[in-house]
Amino acid sequence: MADWMEQVREEARKLLQEGYDGVLGFRFRAGQIGPYLFRTPEEIDHLEVDTRIPTQMPPLFSQIQEGVPKYNLAKTLRLILRKRPDMRIGAVLRGCEVRAIRALQEKGEIDASNLKIINLVCPPEQAAICNCEKPSYDVFKCTGCWSCIEACPEDAITRINVCPILSPSEYNEGLSYRKAIYIKYPQGVPLKAVRDAETCLKITGKLDCKGCERVCQAEAIFHDDEEKIEELNVGSVILAPGFRSFDPKAFDVYLYSNHPNVITSLEFERLLAASGPTMGHVVRLSDHKEPKKIAWFQCVGSRDINRCDNGYCSAVCCMYAIKQAVIAKEHVGKDLDTAIFFMDMRTHGKDFERYYEKAREEHGVRFIRSRVHSVEVVSGTDQLEITYVTDDGSVSQERFDLVVLSVGLEITDEIRDLAKRIGVELNQNGFCNFSAFKPVATNRPGVYVCGAFQGPKDIPQSVMEASAAAADAGALLSPVRGSLIKEREFPPQVNVVNEPPRVGVFICHCGINIAGMVDVQAVKDFAKTLPYVEYVADNLYTCSQDTQALMREAIKEHNLNRVVVAACTPRTHEPLFQETLEAAGLNKYLFEMANIRNQDSWVHDDPEAATKKAKDLVRMAVAKAALLKPLDEPELSVNQEALVVGGGVAGMTAAKSLADQGFKVHLVERSSRLGGAALKLNSAWTGEKVEDFVRELVSDVEAHPNISIYLSSEIESVDGFVGNFRTVIKNGAGSKEINHGVAILAVGGKEYKPTEYGYGTDPRILTHLEMDELLKNGDARIKDAKCVVFIQCVGSREPERPYCSRVCCTHTLVSALEIKEKNPECSVFVLYRDMRSYGEREELYQKAREKGVIFIRFDRDRKPIVSSENGSIKIEVVDHVLQRPVALTPDLLVLASAIVPGDFEKIAQFFKVPLNEDGFFVEAHAKLRPVDFATDGVYVCGLAHYPKSIDESIAQAKAAAARAVTVLSKETVRFAGTVAVTDQRLCSSCGTCVNICPFSAPSFNDKGKAEVNPALCKGCGLCVASCRSGAIQLLGFDDAEIFSMIECA
Amino acid sequence: MAEWEPKILAFLCNWCSYGAADLAGVSRLKQPPNIRIIRIPCSGRMNPKFILQALRKGADGVWVSGCHPGDCHYIEGNYYARRKFALFKNLLEYVGIEPERLHFSWISSAEATKFAAVAKDVVESVKKVGPSSRLIKREAEVE
Amino acid sequence: MFDYTEKIREIARRLLQEKKVDGIIGFKKGTIPMMNQPVFITSPDRVELLHWDSWCGVNLANYLPKREGRIGIVAKGCDTRSIVVLSQENQVQRDQLYIIGVPCRGMLDRRKVWEVVGSTDVKGIEEGNGKVRVWGNGFDLKLERSELLQNNCVICVHRNPVVFDELVADEVEEQSVDRYGDIRNIEAMSSDEKWNLFQEIFSRCIRCYACRNACPFCYCPQCFVDESRPQWVGKTIDRTDTLTFHLLRAFHMAGRCTDCGACERACPVGIPVRLLTKKLEKDVKELYGYEAGVQLDERPPLDTYKPDDPEDFIK
Repeated sequence: MADWMEQVREEARKLLQEGYDGVLGFRFRAGQIGPYLFRTPEEIDHLEVDTRIPTQMPPLFSQIQEGVPKYNLAKTLRLILRKRPDMRIGAVLRGCEVRAIRALQEKGEIDASNLKIINLVCPPEQAAICNCEKPSYDVFKCTGCWSCIEACPEDAITRINVCPILSPSEYNEGLSYRKAIYIKYPQGVPLKAVRDAETCLKITGKLDCKGCERVCQAEAIFHDDEEKIEELNVGSVILAPGFRSFDPKAFDVYLYSNHPNVITSLEFERLLAASGPTMGHVVRLSDHKEPKKIAWFQCVGSRDINRCDNGYCSAVCCMYAIKQAVIAKEHVGKDLDTAIFFMDMRTHGKDFERYYEKAREEHGVRFIRSRVHSVEVVSGTDQLEITYVTDDGSVSQERFDLVVLSVGLEITDEIRDLAKRIGVELNQNGFCNFSAFKPVATNRPGVYVCGAFQGPKDIPQSVMEASAAAADAGALLSPVRGSLIKEREFPPQVNVVNEPPRVGVFICHCGINIAGMVDVQAVKDFAKTLPYVEYVADNLYTCSQDTQALMREAIKEHNLNRVVVAACTPRTHEPLFQETLEAAGLNKYLFEMANIRNQDSWVHDDPEAATKKAKDLVRMAVAKAALLKPLDEPELSVNQEALVVGGGVAGMTAAKSLADQGFKVHLVERSSRLGGAALKLNSAWTGEKVEDFVRELVSDVEAHPNISIYLSSEIESVDGFVGNFRTVIKNGAGSKEINHGVAILAVGGKEYKPTEYGYGTDPRILTHLEMDELLKNGDARIKDAKCVVFIQCVGSREPERPYCSRVCCTHTLVSALEIKEKNPECSVFVLYRDMRSYGEREELYQKAREKGVIFIRFDRDRKPIVSSENGSIKIEVVDHVLQRPVALTPDLLVLASAIVPGDFEKIAQFFKVPLNEDGFFVEAHAKLRPVDFATDGVYVCGLAHYPKSIDESIAQAKAAAARAVTVLSKETVRFAGTVAVTDQRLCSSCGTCVNICPFSAPSFNDKGKAEVNPALCKGCGLCVASCRSGAIQLLGFDDAEIFSMIECA
Repeated sequence: MAEWEPKILAFLCNWCSYGAADLAGVSRLKQPPNIRIIRIPCSGRMNPKFILQALRKGADGVWVSGCHPGDCHYIEGNYYARRKFALFKNLLEYVGIEPERLHFSWISSAEATKFAAVAKDVVESVKKVGPSSRLIKREAEVE
Repeated sequence: MFDYTEKIREIARRLLQEKKVDGIIGFKKGTIPMMNQPVFITSPDRVELLHWDSWCGVNLANYLPKREGRIGIVAKGCDTRSIVVLSQENQVQRDQLYIIGVPCRGMLDRRKVWEVVGSTDVKGIEEGNGKVRVWGNGFDLKLERSELLQNNCVICVHRNPVVFDELVADEVEEQSVDRYGDIRNIEAMSSDEKWNLFQEIFSRCIRCYACRNACPFCYCPQCFVDESRPQWVGKTIDRTDTLTFHLLRAFHMAGRCTDCGACERACPVGIPVRLLTKKLEKDVKELYGYEAGVQLDERPPLDTYKPDDPEDFIK
């Protein structure tokens, strides 16, 4: 032990001997390091003073590994000094802590005159790690600005500081730490603290710690709470256990375990996040400096059967790596060099290919087609040298500051166990077994699956499957729909329209959360002086059940007709208080909140300023409240029938799902038969034959008593809105009006007829669907063929059609394998740009290679050349490995041609829904609302949304049905009261509102004046702000109300 | 006399920036106490006349914040708002309102740190130009 | 330009005789020099009233909003642009109109004449070969026409009608001018200088609303200054209220104003109102590449957006 450590201890002992009441320092207890108040000289032997952290350890982990944590003693000291100002104590402090204490003293928060400081000078390496600009404490120079504490990256973000335990934060991938009682992350719902039974000293019995209990004014802590086992009787179970990201520790070539600057993509995601450990500041972990060069390695733990058992593609990593590279450039700056090392770039999702192009062309992200061989530390630096092999076999090296491993998705043992207990079969990868035609059903009836447990997938696909599983469960349970619902009952509303405002103000202490910073009594006194205020109360917790009862009584006793609560935020608590108003017979819109916690007491440290602000916020809220009007929530009846447009697999599936759930469906098909594009398909990627499935589906749909089918019919007009559409369809026999509550657009897509590669000039040049026809019919040409060539990306990923058609690579693999099976001697070549056999489709790619299918890659600017020579087809292409031209003369050439949308202009206009540049429908939100439109009551599924495989179409169709049922299952729909209303006299008929509303809520009435349909209005106020003549007001946020707040601010 | 402190009115979209302000609270991110927040349903609700009225009523600065492009809860309200803001800000500056008084930002509900940083930035910027004197509506004659 | 008169009468007569239109909006000669008056003619017998010279600056599109029936209208470049805006805004239907397009060499400004001759008592005026002869009590001067152009005409880049059913003459050559020199000069000033400049400019305003009433786009049933719930803009000549009115009115013109000059022509105290509208016109053009009233099927710039609109000013 170094002398200086002993010196510190000696000083501490001396203080205690001199009669000091205690010395605050660090001590190991119960396997944890924490602050400890040493009371006797003997105890001082346990005083820990070494704050050095072994440098090979990622510093953000430092707190949780062995070594002394850099726990901030200033916080503990502040508590002690405030509680016991009489105590004479010493404290072993580092420079930053001393500055903090001085700052607190200057602010008058503590009296440090009885404090004796034993000063520790941080060693330079610690200072470097902390980015500390003032490693040693110099009392003359320090201004007590507190910024060193603020800047310290290891300052705990958790708010529950009393807990002495530190554990790695799961939310931040272990890049920061949390306590044994903690809030998982600031946006958690519900935002409640949880305790970690594994580490809590009290729960584990290591120590009788009651720190959390002492500070909790809500008395929410139970120490003797026990695990309970509950039994639920349910009719259906949906499995959505998710996935785990691959743990690359075992891959020693990538140095993940050995070097702080090699991290996983999920860890990098946390570094990018504003709520992450570095608050979105991108750093390399070795020295917390901003990296200049970052590399991503793709397929870590995916497409790999050598170093792990995950042969499948994880389907999401290419896209997230590109996203991370682009965002990293946004955070660090344009000069950040980003390189993605990949095998095939799989940007097969909607609009992903565009994003990829943009990343490359506009953001300058480098894409290096390669396999990384090894990573080595560049000695004497924190850099890493990557050795990689490119396409043509050449070996290159490059140095980076940070390496991100794009880790894949995998299924955990816990999930496998769960599946076993439930009796659900899994495949060899641990994903749930399913049929392409029943994508969310498991082998056990009534048990459904969705998300990554069914197979690796991205968010939109997961969301679709989730809704699809809900639809299937809904069909099963439709006989008992609504039988467990209890209607809430409220007393009739008091009419307050002609009464002068009588405002009640309730001010919340929120324990000490508000009262600790804001002088609640002063705010209360102030509120009493405000116009129209009749009653003011303050409550320890305004949201508690008791206070709700008090509020109801106060409303009655004082005849209050407006209520203002000054407390936390309306975003979480408005509904609760509005319910209390309703229970007291007041319209719920007669309520306003002043946000004096989240936006005041929590973010200020000057009580005077915080109190002044609270007063202003209350005055603003009262001013607005006085102007509030009771609002109606219009209720409209719902026509509980659905219209499904398109009789392909998606349309039929949606129709059948709705019909199975007990709703009448009108299925409109333009052609003379049901089946759509799938009629021509051979088999799904799972190998199942499509023909049989479609035949069965058609007969189910035709026989279903709830489905009316209109063949050879087209839509002529659409009128109305959610719950009440009127659509006129026309066929040879005439026109018919259909009334329906919702509409599902499943209008399909079609195969692109190529103009390239000699298509149409030679009967041996086919498209995929034409090849499927041969395969289905057992055509002799397949048996006789000596050579078959597939060319990929025909009409896709081209400037005029810059999207990936998603299914063609897999289609090629399925067809190639079937050819090989029927005619093993036939040589099969696939000329491709990137093989996009995403997810478990990757196994088809693997199998195809095993069976001898030969894959030759080409670039967009070096496409294969197809010509005709002596009556045979000749293809010239440059082999990407040999870099030499290859000539092929196949008997059949299959063009993997794009999927293109139909002409949807008219139907898009009918239903007021948008199309994108490529002509596909645009959903309400690409990730979270993949089957909804911004227009309520209209949904999309199948190829009309984007190219997709048959299982994906079916899942999306069921999802659309599930979303539709959210409307259909109610006899009435109720709309919010906060909608726009027009004043006809002021309307100038300029049409701005009609034109800009994203929800088509305003329209011209027969007098040519604008009117807003409250059933369509979402209350955004865009039309209101755009109306020059002031003819539109937004109820609940009208100009007068906002002006009153401006005036009172 | 105490040091002058500006009063700044912030119009925040309920779905993003207002949430970020809440989250900044949850994360205890300290901010100057000069800002008074008015919650609006969408930056698209922001009528330029609110900015005028805020300045008329003596606000030393105005800050409007909505969702990042593409993230509007109402699909495209912020896109329309962006055009209004650009033109109106330019117009106010053109007649001599100091640019330091007008602030616009896109802050998602997760960007608490950005919220706190922009809040500081806005206050500092307004402090630089001192108390507002232009466009204030004097009420003296009403006595 | 005088020979336009005959052609206009000829077209008007034909239209009325053939009952292609219910009436024609045009100009008749004023009773005093330099003051032509708008006229609405419904009978072929009265077409001789129609007149055209350099004093037809009034924007006849101002008479269109909410008018029913088939209407013929005599329209200069700026008037036709106003018609485009009005039809975009649903105030008039294009197919309701027969536009008699007048290629324009710029209208003259009587205030400039008064200033040059040093008197408002002008007895007569005539022009030819780019010169203007003005005479009155004690003066008889020959002036350069180009010196007397209305300010908006000096920098006009749409002298020819952008939409029309018939032109009264061949198109004139368009000018290639810098429209925004004065705006840029102001932009380059400090905030203090700008403020002082506009305080000085608007201190003259008497809140008569002539600018508003002359503007073809101020057709709102109620102007924001007249809002009563809440009444937030005062109606007196309080400086803040006056500036509030001008700022918001100018903002309401964003992407709509065609710089027809009606506001300035109407202003009795000579406020250069166009300094505000032109600033917006400049910004709309620079930021969104949009010019008001040129394309019938385009939406006005505040009625639309592009995802990648400039946003440097947003944090």
